[in-house]
Parts: sequence; structure tokens; C-alpha cells
Amino acid sequence: MIWVSWRQHRGQAIACLGLLVALTVYAVIESTSMRSAFSHDGLAACLARSQGTACPTGVQAFMNEFGSAINIAFWSVALIVPGVIGVLVGAPLIARELEFGTWRLAWSQSVPRARWLAVKLALVTGGLIVLGAAMTAVITWYRAPMDQLTGHFQHNAYDYEGLVLTAYILGAFGFAVLAGLLIRRSISAMVAAFIPWLAIRLVVEFVFRDHFLAPLTTTVNCTQGCGYGVGFVPQATGRVGDLVLSINRNIVTYQPADRFWTFQFIEAGIFVALTAAALGATIWLLHQRATWTN
Amino acid sequence: MTQHDAGGSVPALRTDRLGRRYGKVWGLRDCTLEVPAGAVAALVGPNGAGKTTLLEMIIGLLEPTEGQVSVFGQASRAGTAEALARVGYVAQDHPLYRDFTVAEMLHFGRAMNPSWDQGLAQARMDALGIPLNRKIRRLSGGQQAQVSLTMALAKHAPLLVLDEPVSSLDPVARLEFMRDVMATAADHALTFLISSHVVSELERFCDWLIILTGGHVQLAGPADDLLAAHRLLTVPRATPDAELPGRTIHRTDSDRHSTVLVRTDPVALAVHSRSGWQDGPVSFEQLVMAYLQRPSTATTSDNPGPAAARPGPSTKAVTR
Repeated sequence: MIWVSWRQHRGQAIACLGLLVALTVYAVIESTSMRSAFSHDGLAACLARSQGTACPTGVQAFMNEFGSAINIAFWSVALIVPGVIGVLVGAPLIARELEFGTWRLAWSQSVPRARWLAVKLALVTGGLIVLGAAMTAVITWYRAPMDQLTGHFQHNAYDYEGLVLTAYILGAFGFAVLAGLLIRRSISAMVAAFIPWLAIRLVVEFVFRDHFLAPLTTTVNCTQGCGYGVGFVPQATGRVGDLVLSINRNIVTYQPADRFWTFQFIEAGIFVALTAAALGATIWLLHQRATWTN
Repeated sequence: MTQHDAGGSVPALRTDRLGRRYGKVWGLRDCTLEVPAGAVAALVGPNGAGKTTLLEMIIGLLEPTEGQVSVFGQASRAGTAEALARVGYVAQDHPLYRDFTVAEMLHFGRAMNPSWDQGLAQARMDALGIPLNRKIRRLSGGQQAQVSLTMALAKHAPLLVLDEPVSSLDPVARLEFMRDVMATAADHALTFLISSHVVSELERFCDWLIILTGGHVQLAGPADDLLAAHRLLTVPRATPDAELPGRTIHRTDSDRHSTVLVRTDPVALAVHSRSGWQDGPVSFEQLVMAYLQRPSTATTSDNPGPAAARPGPSTKAVTR
């Protein structure tokens, strides 16, 4: 079964490796110039000394040069990438067998089909976890200078660091495997899985994430203007890395930087639970369902 | 043709009141039949008769709604490894992974079947001249059918189920394929159940016949016995079915005469025969066609056991 899974998913594995290589090349090129600007401007020392308050011009210049490419353009493009990977790998897993009639071959060998599926899912999921972890490592390294200014809690960093990137991939994969079983067409299943994945992904990010834990409040003196973080230092709370949710007069509502991993676990947990539910349902349906003819 | 011992050894296949419902519609119902070990059995029926439903339940892909399947005396639970391992299966259109090479296809078989016989698989590929490094999609239809059959054989299952194995092949490939099946059945003492609607291909190869229409078994038994139990009569057109010896299976009326295929026996034929009637044996194809042309609403009471021809006139005769 291991050989069978490898042989059938070899092409996808190579494509994923290619994607990872492309991401790494882009990251090395972009991060090299960012790192040289960062050290050239002496930002590291300034941050260590004063959380960046002593060198606002240097921070602003750095942000002007790299902010939009890294925090906006990369984030926007990369937003859909985990979903695309997940559905491209997941949808054909069962749908391809049903489309080409090879399910009669695959499921009439001496391996019961629920086990056939369970082994495949375990191996492919393992591969996706490795891919997600590698992408996370590359992106975290690539963003490192920027993260020293903005922290990891901003959306631009949070979405690709820690655990959530891998969990997003798994979520899309789980939806797509289930959709492939129900719809029996790879392409339709990809679309049918991607849309709810994106909806849940965005709702979790923009509606629920800020409230995973009750935010803290603090009183600050904002006479000189208070920033939300990206492009403004220091942040309203005075600590790089806090996620400022709102500033009302001089009351700041925020999530402290040290909650980053707690939030990562919660959000990754949501997507892993959805994945487990979708894949569990798929195995059960495949085991139960009577016929595949028409 | 082989003579089968009706009561003795354990049958290769036995289905007992087997039925499968799709929603409210029965795809197959009340299907009771036996195929003895060593038989090459033909399962004949029009499209939609329930052939594939029956075969999928036999191989353990599909769970019966009612009844059960036994293979060599052991009850099969659908979807279990034991049930799957006992039956080799060549599906309709012999599906294979088209981007695999032949060697990879065999590797797949080895990975998926604990009793896989790699030596047999490779020897067959050599004998058939199918190169192991060729992609499946570059093989001819006949070669793909042979790879499918080889995979079913190398699984080392005592019962092989072939669903429409020759329908997509050209006439030469059909003949070669069926000859190969016959040779293999003889060499390895295997039992074959072959579904087809290509009646002419089956005649010279199959020694057991099962006719399925409308989700019901119409006729089942040793082909020779079934042929012997039917006669083709030519009688004056006015002759009512009730006066004929045996049960009318199919009747064709022309201007002055009627040609009637009846299920009968020599005694009934001798007793009822009148002067001016002509009678003769039926061919395999005539027999099959007569049953296929009956209305498919017939119930299982029309399905007497093999070789148990009921003599005497019947009022249940069917006229078309």
C-alpha cells in the first residue's frame, strides 16, 4: 500500500517539491536584500535599544521599501496557496478512481477499501504536514527582519508562521477528499472544496481570531499618536509584537505577543478538527456506501 | 464439455435468495444459484438485467440487501479481506491505471494481494509478448484485457469473475481471450463466471449457463442439460399453447406455421406430438435469445432447478 500510494501521488509530490523550491528561491532573493537593508539601516541595534522609537526615519524607510511587497502582496497571493495545494492533492484521491472506473480495480484487490483509503490518507496527510512545515520554516526565515519590527501576531506574519499554515493545507485537503467522493469529478470537487475552505479561513481570521481569548486593555498616552504596529513604532502598547485591536481615546484593547502560540494552537486545532471530521466521514461513507455504478 | 456432479462436492459459488435494492428499486432479487467447481459459467442477460449487481455482490464490492453469497462453502462478508481474496475479478472495460507501466501494474497487484503469484504474472506477460516496461495506455485493447486477466489470475483466487470481458475487443482478440480463459481454467482447475451479452462468443466455451433478466434468474444449469430440455417445434399456426408439450418459452407466428421453443422432455414430446409437427434441437443462441425475449416481469416460480424440466402443458405460456 505504501508503494501504491507513493506511485499514485508521485507527480503531486514532485509538484509540491517544485513549489517549495520556487518559494525558497524567491525567499532567498527577497530576504537577502531585506536583510542587507535591515543591517545597513542599523535597525537591529535601534530595536534592541528602544523598540524602534529612536529611529523612526529608518523604520519608515525600511517599511516603504519592503512593506507592501512582503506584508500585502505576498500575503494576498499566499492567502489562497494552502487551499490550492489542499484541493489539488485531495480532490483526485477518490474522484480520479471513480472518474476512470479504476475503483473496481482498486477496491476488488485483497485490501478492503476503507483500509485502502485510511493508508492513503495517512501517507498523503504526512506528506502535506512535511510540506506545510517546510513552507512555514522558509517563510518564517524570509520574514525574520520584518518580524523584528512588526512581531508575529500581525495577520501578515501569523497566517504563515507557527502551525496554522499546515492546518490550512490539511483543512482544504480534507474537504476536497470528501467532495471527491460525493461529487466524483476531480475538477468540480476542487471548486466545491475550495469555496467553503476560503470562507471558513477568512471568517476564522477576521471574525473569531481576535476573540480566541478575551483581549487585554491598557491605558496609554496617545498625545503623539498611537500606531497599530505595521509601519508605526512603537505600537500603542509600547511592545513590538502585541496585536492592537482598537484604540478608543487612550484605552488600547490588544492581544499580548506571548499569546501567539496559544492562538496558533487554537486556530490550527479548529482546522485539524474540521480535517478529521471530513476524512472520518469519507472513510465511513466509503465503507458504508453500497454502489459506485452511476 | 464437462459433466458436473450435481450433489457431491462443495460448489464454487452459491447465492442464496440474494437481493440488492437501490432506493426503492430492486436491481436484483431472489437470486438463488450454484456454480460447481471447475465450471466455466456464462451469465447472460440484457443490459440492466442486474448482471453487474450480481457480480459485484459475488466479489464482495457490494453488500447485499438480503440473502448471502458463499464461495467454496464459506459465507462472504462484503468488503472483508477474506471475501475479496477468494475471488479474482476482471471488471467491465478492464480498468487499469493508464499511466502505469505493465511492471508497475503487476507491482500494484503484488502490493495489494498477499497471495500474489509474481512468477505466473511475469510468465504470462512473456508468453503473450507484452513488454513489462510499456505504459498501459500504449497497449492494445486486447493486451489490456490480458493484463487485467493476468492480474486476476495472479491473485491466486479459486473463483474468477469476468464482467463483459470481450465486449470491447475485436473478433480476433475475443477469440484469443476466450481460448486463453479456457486453457487457464483447464490448467489451474479454476472456476470462471463470465457475464456477457455477446452470446455467440460463449457457446463453444461455457458449460454452465445462467440467464438473468429483469433482476431475476430465468434459467440456470449445465448447458448440455438445458439444451436437451428444450425443443424447437414447428406447428400449424392455430395450435394453442395449451396443446403443446411443455412450457412455451418463445413463439414466432408466421402465415401458416408457428415456430415455438418449448421446455419439455422426450416423454411429453412423444405423448403430445401430432402428425404434421416438426421438432428439432435448439442451439445455444436460440435458447438464450428465447429467454432474453421473454417479458422480464416473470417471477422466480418460473425458475425450476437445473435439469428439472416440468413436463406437461402449461397455462403460463408466453406469446410474443
